[in-house]
Amino acid sequence: MTTVRVFDAPRELVWKAWTEPKRLAQWFGPKGFTNPVCEADPRPGGVLRITMQAPDGTQYPMTAIYDEVVPLERLVWNTSVEHPGNVSFEIRQVTTFVERNGKTEVTLQAFVTRATPEAADALGGMEQGWSMSLDKLDALLSRG
Amino acid sequence: MVSLSDRLDTTLAALADPTRRAILARLAAGETSVTELAKPFSMSLPAVSKHLKVLERAGLIARGRSAQWRPCRLDAAPMREVAELIDGYRRFWDASFERLDDYLVEMQSQEKKRGRKGKRI
Repeated sequence: MTTVRVFDAPRELVWKAWTEPKRLAQWFGPKGFTNPVCEADPRPGGVLRITMQAPDGTQYPMTAIYDEVVPLERLVWNTSVEHPGNVSFEIRQVTTFVERNGKTEVTLQAFVTRATPEAADALGGMEQGWSMSLDKLDALLSRG
Repeated sequence: MVSLSDRLDTTLAALADPTRRAILARLAAGETSVTELAKPFSMSLPAVSKHLKVLERAGLIARGRSAQWRPCRLDAAPMREVAELIDGYRRFWDASFERLDDYLVEMQSQEKKRGRKGKRI
């Protein structure tokens, strides 16, 4: 899965928002969620620990380990993600930051690492087509 | 009992091969025979059958019962589970990015205020 988003802010600020725990806690998670626990130690081997709290009080803990940290440019972490039905999944998330004319382009790639690397690549290339209907399958698979 | 996670692993492993993805793409157009499926590939029938077995085990395809002609057809249910996982992840980040957008505006206005104060001093 790949998603790209441009933020109307300089890269330094966007980087701070991603790496300083107090700031990360301000935006991580869907609207209405809070993050009562947010600890971030952005260096290789460092831990990112966030507990999200839904408006109904349900808590969703998440732990990730930073793998690569290139200041202002690149953030890679490995984490397990809860899937409905209490299945957790190992995901490697690569986030890159590029500044263009005072704006910052953030590219987020997620690879499922519990399956074979080839499968993860296939997934990575399939992008949003995964929310597919059968008739789109053909194009989707040839892209993978 | 096979857990959802195991099933997803099997689905992903089956999808990891380009030949198998091509077979699925062909089946998306409708059910067909093994001979027909083998045509575009420079591959023996047994080799194609092997791929079909992997897809069948992953529940991605179903085979007809007739001994003479066992047409293959696509079963998209396991793909849907993978799709749900990916969709959920994407939705999570889309929602977070909405908030990050707002938060960055807030951060910038705070920095401006701080900058003005600095100048006055």
